[in-house]
Amino acid sequence: MTVTFQLNGERCRFHEDPMTPLLDVLRREKFLTGAKAVCREGFCGACTVHVDGEPMMSCLKPVGLVSGCSVTTIEGLSSGDQALHPLQAAFEAADVVQCGMCFPGMVMSLSAFVRDNPEATRPQIKTAMAGNICRCTGYERIIDAVADYLAVQKAGSQAKEAAHV
Amino acid sequence: MDMQDGPERIFESAATVAEAVAARASGAAVLAGGTWTMRDPRRGVTLPERIVALSKIAELQSIEVFDDRISIGASVTHSLLAGAVSEIVGLEGLAAAATGAANPAIRRVATVGGNLCATEFAAADLVPALLALDAEVELALADGPRLLPLSEFLKARAALLKTALLTRVIVRRDVIASAHIRLPLRKAGDYPVAIVSVARSSDGTVRVAVGSVEPVARRWTALEAALGGKVATAEEAQALAEKTNDFIGRDGIETEGWYRREVLPALVRRAFAALRKGGAA
Amino acid sequence: MSETLSGTTHEVSATVMDLPRRDARDKLRGRTRYTVDRVRPDMLHAVLLRSGVPAGRIVRLDVEAARHASGVRAIATGQDAPGLYGIGIADHPLLAIDTIRYHGEPIVAIAAETETEARAALALVELEIEPLAPVLTMGEALAKDARLVHDGWRDYEVLTEGGAREGNIAWEARTTRGDVDAAFARPDVKIVETTIRVGRQSHVPFEPRTAIGSWENGRAHIETSTQVPWTVRNVTGRVLQLPPGRVRVTVPPVGGGFGLKFDATIEPITALLARITGRTVVIENTRQEEMATCLCRENAEILIRSAVTADGEIAGREAVVLMDCGAYGGEQIFLSTMTAHTLGGNYRVGAMRLVSRAVYTNTPPNGAFRACNGVYNTFALERHTDEICQALGLDPLAFRKKNVLGDGDLGATGQVFEGNVLRPMLERMDALRAVTGTVEDKADGRLYGRATTVGTWFVFVGPSAATINMNADGSATLVTSGVEIGSGTMMQSLPQIVAGQLGLTPDQVVVREADTDSAGLDVGVGGGRTTVSIGAASIGAAEELRNKLFGFASELLQTRPEDLELVGGRVAIKGRPGSGIAVSAVVQHAQSVSGPVTGTGSFTGKPVPFMSGCAFGHMIEALEIPVFVVHEAEVAVDPDTGHVEVLAYRVVQDVGRALNRRAIMGQIQGGVVQGLGYALHEAVTIAPDGRIREDGFETYRVPLAGDVVPVVADLYEGAPSSGPLGTKGAGEVPILGVAAAIGCAVANATGKLVRELPLTPPRVLSLLKGRERAPEFPHIAASFEANTLA
Ligand SMILES: Cc1cc2nc3c(=O)[nH]c(=O)nc-3n(C[C@H](O)[C@H](O)[C@H](O)COP(=O)(O)OP(=O)(O)OC[C@H]3O[C@@H](n4cnc5c(N)ncnc54)[C@H](O)[C@@H]3O)c2cc1C
Ligand code: FES
Ligand code: FES
Repeated sequence: MTVTFQLNGERCRFHEDPMTPLLDVLRREKFLTGAKAVCREGFCGACTVHVDGEPMMSCLKPVGLVSGCSVTTIEGLSSGDQALHPLQAAFEAADVVQCGMCFPGMVMSLSAFVRDNPEATRPQIKTAMAGNICRCTGYERIIDAVADYLAVQKAGSQAKEAAHV
Repeated sequence: MDMQDGPERIFESAATVAEAVAARASGAAVLAGGTWTMRDPRRGVTLPERIVALSKIAELQSIEVFDDRISIGASVTHSLLAGAVSEIVGLEGLAAAATGAANPAIRRVATVGGNLCATEFAAADLVPALLALDAEVELALADGPRLLPLSEFLKARAALLKTALLTRVIVRRDVIASAHIRLPLRKAGDYPVAIVSVARSSDGTVRVAVGSVEPVARRWTALEAALGGKVATAEEAQALAEKTNDFIGRDGIETEGWYRREVLPALVRRAFAALRKGGAA
Repeated sequence: MSETLSGTTHEVSATVMDLPRRDARDKLRGRTRYTVDRVRPDMLHAVLLRSGVPAGRIVRLDVEAARHASGVRAIATGQDAPGLYGIGIADHPLLAIDTIRYHGEPIVAIAAETETEARAALALVELEIEPLAPVLTMGEALAKDARLVHDGWRDYEVLTEGGAREGNIAWEARTTRGDVDAAFARPDVKIVETTIRVGRQSHVPFEPRTAIGSWENGRAHIETSTQVPWTVRNVTGRVLQLPPGRVRVTVPPVGGGFGLKFDATIEPITALLARITGRTVVIENTRQEEMATCLCRENAEILIRSAVTADGEIAGREAVVLMDCGAYGGEQIFLSTMTAHTLGGNYRVGAMRLVSRAVYTNTPPNGAFRACNGVYNTFALERHTDEICQALGLDPLAFRKKNVLGDGDLGATGQVFEGNVLRPMLERMDALRAVTGTVEDKADGRLYGRATTVGTWFVFVGPSAATINMNADGSATLVTSGVEIGSGTMMQSLPQIVAGQLGLTPDQVVVREADTDSAGLDVGVGGGRTTVSIGAASIGAAEELRNKLFGFASELLQTRPEDLELVGGRVAIKGRPGSGIAVSAVVQHAQSVSGPVTGTGSFTGKPVPFMSGCAFGHMIEALEIPVFVVHEAEVAVDPDTGHVEVLAYRVVQDVGRALNRRAIMGQIQGGVVQGLGYALHEAVTIAPDGRIREDGFETYRVPLAGDVVPVVADLYEGAPSSGPLGTKGAGEVPILGVAAAIGCAVANATGKLVRELPLTPPRVLSLLKGRERAPEFPHIAASFEANTLA
């Protein structure tokens, strides 16, 4: 059976076992090593990718289930010399990265979260991170950076609205 | 872990329930979200050689809300379920179960059917939540559909699931308040080590279900009987729970059985306190 | 040298900055290639056949069938790597030879074209093991007539002299200072005794141990996720019986280490298989293997006893610390040294004797983990201190202020401490608390507790080398064997230090990835040593460079070298910024007249005085750079379920000098949270068959975002330090005091004696119900002397 899906905007075909985890297709066949295999059990989120725009764990996603879907990986979020996603830029500026292994997943997960929850509070950010484990940073500075990012976005959109009045 | 080896796996995506039932008849295992199945190799179980995926069956993905009941398709994910029932009075417990389980990325994928049909999974959240609601499940079998109470289904689950497809869960809307108290070891969430779900119907009946303590969730009939339809305070409920605690906790790596059993009365108190506040924890 | 090390004000101000990390952007974009990301399709995959029993004798091992399986290219067994390695004692074979000593021990390595083929071939290995009764606990190991885990222990090569050892006691380190018996016999003292038991902690670095070995021009080249490239080089040489110089180790960015990657494990196997096949071979531990064979923070059993007067003077103290090294000695042999400085630290004590014993068991070997040994000894000491205060009716904070180590006080080995550090730090904690306030209201009906604890740690100084090459564009390339494991030292501190020395901006300093072929010896990244040791070596290299640059520039500028300084990318005349000549011009000039300009520096710790006759079997007799912490926790304990919630956490940390406050704050937050995991959630248990039961993320619970609080920290600067610019390592120590602060806070909340870790909800609930009994150790004798081999 051949599985066909969009991978970072391009058509991708996979001819082997449809129960292969999407993560392995990315890492071992496509050499997209941004998504990390850390727990392979859905707990840590290091393998998070977007499937049709929604963050999901690619380690538990049989590639057969993404047939016809559009998959975006961290490499596709800001590719080539494109600007960083603003949340990536916020993380960089706030110096939150340590070993970095969790961050591709963190970014994929939280970029969708800030898109969908522009009003999120700090506790809501924490709850949203239940499936993104970091062994190095102790989280709080990541949370600070997300909260600051949301505040800046909000201030920006309020300023825009004010300008329109 | 490479892909070229082994016999060619048969993987089909059914478009209709009938196709899925036919595939089952020829030996295919069901694949819903895959969040349980994909961990089979970790549990020492090899992945099934024939698989039928449900993801393309539209009718399994809807939630229908009627005046007297709601019908939840088997392929509805935890996050869809949470979104659909969170505003419905009486289903606070189900909403809490659907939002409290796992983590956001898993909830986006993991289905109601998968939660009810993972026979080896003692800590399933939706099971006690739906038991407390006295839900029914609809199965599709080669000889037609079959409706049966969830509690019956749980008893015969392993045998039924050799050929059946779970298609829907039906919840009557006579419940006026419900609560779902899950106790993970980490505050930030884990598999719950014990769950107490309670629901009160408009006729005053109170149902209590317990999950994760024993290998399969069940109703706490001894406590229900002791409550006898009276309106108990949270503390009264806790005291009755102490007296009627007939659970045998299962030992696991995460905790020994005694702990699961001993926390139950306190969880009952919390559940009843939530119930008095109109559900939700 | 001391001039340079403490730094002129100018150098310091040029070095201190909140520099962001140069590696952050690629890490955020998923472009950084860790070792696990470097697997290519043309590599062979190797997998290991591991023992399924904890103890036994290999009676038959036949790999012929496996050798002929599809895709198999090489098979190695213990016979192929006969050399033994270890720390202190060479007791560890690469692959089991004849004897099995732990569940999970590698026996056979198979390299095949694919991982699937390699695994299929594993099933064809014919292996027969005659099981032996395993020795699973230290109690069993120390019992009379216990079976020896290493029956040939006497024959092992001793790599470091000095430790007493016998049978299942792999190593013993002992200190005695003063007349302890007399102190305990004083009529005016009360004797308080505490027993403590702690479990293991698994590091869970996100990148599992992974190594890629190849054989190039008759030499091994290993690319690996390690903290210790030089150890990997030396161990590989030892076990393969090659001169270590025939091994080259290079290290890509490391996805977390925390001490786990402070030893060689799978690396030599890749070199062995590469030598046999002539191909590049990768071994990547699965998460289950990683957890099952994690070189955990060791489990330990501690008995501590003190003689204290009514007004709180600690007249005498004695303690026995048993450290489980698992099947092989490894780090525990070295770490037995640390008891003198951790359990023997913190307080002024009249007379003191301590023994720590590394004990062999048939369990997976333990290893090093951030603030090794210190974490549980600090927990034990601080709980004991609170028990003393309780027994004597003293206020714990006042007791600490009165008794903490100060200027001129003696440590366990007779080392004389310099400066009053801990006491002012305790006062700073009072001040910090006054600012933040306390949060008892957040306990919301649960049991509330607060505790303030202290801790003593150190910087593991030791050899490091650095070379700096000046480039014609005015930039500098720093070549060391330092590894970036995530703490930012190689990405932030070192470029900052070098730039400060050379008047450059940090982005003009290129940092070379570790390669044992291009940089000199280094004992590795850990022990909080990188900034100090590699930093000092780098300063040495910069000094040499500076002199050379001044020499050339003085000719060009017709000025005396003494009147020059490096600032803003120029060799300028002192006090006249912008004057002089661009560094790039000086470098170009030098290249044309006498060749490229380089500087080299090297560093190692200096011996610190201690009392002779105090310490036996110690690898570090005195601390060159002590580091102190004060931690304070506020917790709420749920009386129904035993859940402990951390409500607030405060730290005062002795950092010597903070070069990058933001980065240190990040290390503190991360280290404290790892400590919270250790104190509250992370349990490693051994099954009856000797296996580690927690083998994945479902059962081994590291803290999640919702489990943590923002740590409020005050960085205490100015304590004595011989580190460059007065720095001390800041990344290791934040975990030191967490279990102590949490343990004491939980004790205060519950009114119960907290003597075991981790404080999981079931343990706390049974504590609350009065079912937890103080640990009893029949294998620790009542008299101190009976617990030593001396
Ligand atoms: C990290 C993580 C955390 C988790 N935490 C929780 C938690 O806190 N609480 C909780 O309840 N669960 C938790 N789970 C488990 C998760 O809820 C279940 O894995 C999920 O509900 C299964 O749904 P699925 O659609 O992915 O099932 P699948 O994996 O697709 O299927 C599971 C089983 O059910 C069968 N099946 C599925 N659908 C049907 C059907 N319609 N008819 C017949 N058989 C069917 C399959 O054949 C399979 O045997 C967690 C899982 C992970 C990975
Ligand atoms: S690797 Fe997929 S969630 Fe951990
Ligand atoms: S930065 Fe290392 S795991 Fe998050």
